[in-house]
Amino acid sequence: MKVRKGRDGAVRIRFEPEEAALVRTLMEQMLDLLGDPPGADDELAAVGISDRATTPEDPVLARLFPDAYRDDGEAAGEFRRYTEMGLRDGKREAAGIVLSGLADAFGAPGGKDGAGSRAEKASRAEVELTTEHAQAWLRALNDVRLALGTRLDISEEWYEEAEGLDPSDPRMPMYAAYDWLTMLQESLVRAVW
Amino acid sequence: MSSAPAPVELERPDIAEEVASDRPWLAIVWNDPINLMSYVTYVFQAVFGYPKSKAEKLMMDVHHKGRAVVANGTREEMERDVEVLHSYGLWATVRRDD
Repeated sequence: MKVRKGRDGAVRIRFEPEEAALVRTLMEQMLDLLGDPPGADDELAAVGISDRATTPEDPVLARLFPDAYRDDGEAAGEFRRYTEMGLRDGKREAAGIVLSGLADAFGAPGGKDGAGSRAEKASRAEVELTTEHAQAWLRALNDVRLALGTRLDISEEWYEEAEGLDPSDPRMPMYAAYDWLTMLQESLVRAVW
Repeated sequence: MSSAPAPVELERPDIAEEVASDRPWLAIVWNDPINLMSYVTYVFQAVFGYPKSKAEKLMMDVHHKGRAVVANGTREEMERDVEVLHSYGLWATVRRDD
């Protein structure tokens, strides 16, 4: 993975095919976690209001959509009713921008029937991002890091903890993905800034 | 916050929080172990239009003190700011100034 900024202001990220596949998988998992947008027949949802006002039980969702008031459950609930749906939409949109950027560079992932989809390129390819899209990438990558980091119960000393793990520990791939995403995000912040 | 290796400018003490009494609501950002220091600084600049020095000072306050007041204003303004900060994945809350 290599991030660079061109004279035209566009940010380019070169991915190895397996890196692109990792990002794609993580974004698809994020979309699954966020769930489907509400149906068109939901009148409250049509104006961006939800009838659900409780903190999500899933710690990852609770981290992605934190309570906006610490000591006032009622105010936190009202804030959630009026904002969470829009925030979910924004996170879905950002993940979608990442997926379409990867599809443009690498071709659509080969479906089981293969019909209508381009063959996936086996070589490395470059994603080119406008400033606006780069910002969406930053937000989407950060959402995935928040999800992985929360599942791993990451602390500020996580690197030392991960180094002490047995290589066969089932959490190792998640730590590796988290570490790699951290490098990608750091590079992208510096390119966008 | 988490830090990828990065040079950090020294704190500049002159840019203090300018909390006026007629702007009684605050937006607060809390420290967490996942968000990168560089990203948090970038978000403060992108969301509030703060100069880099002020954004960095606020980020360092979050990092070292566990939280920082990043904006003040009416309740509606602060809720709007917190909503935008949540869209970037920062852990932000609203409260009345006391």
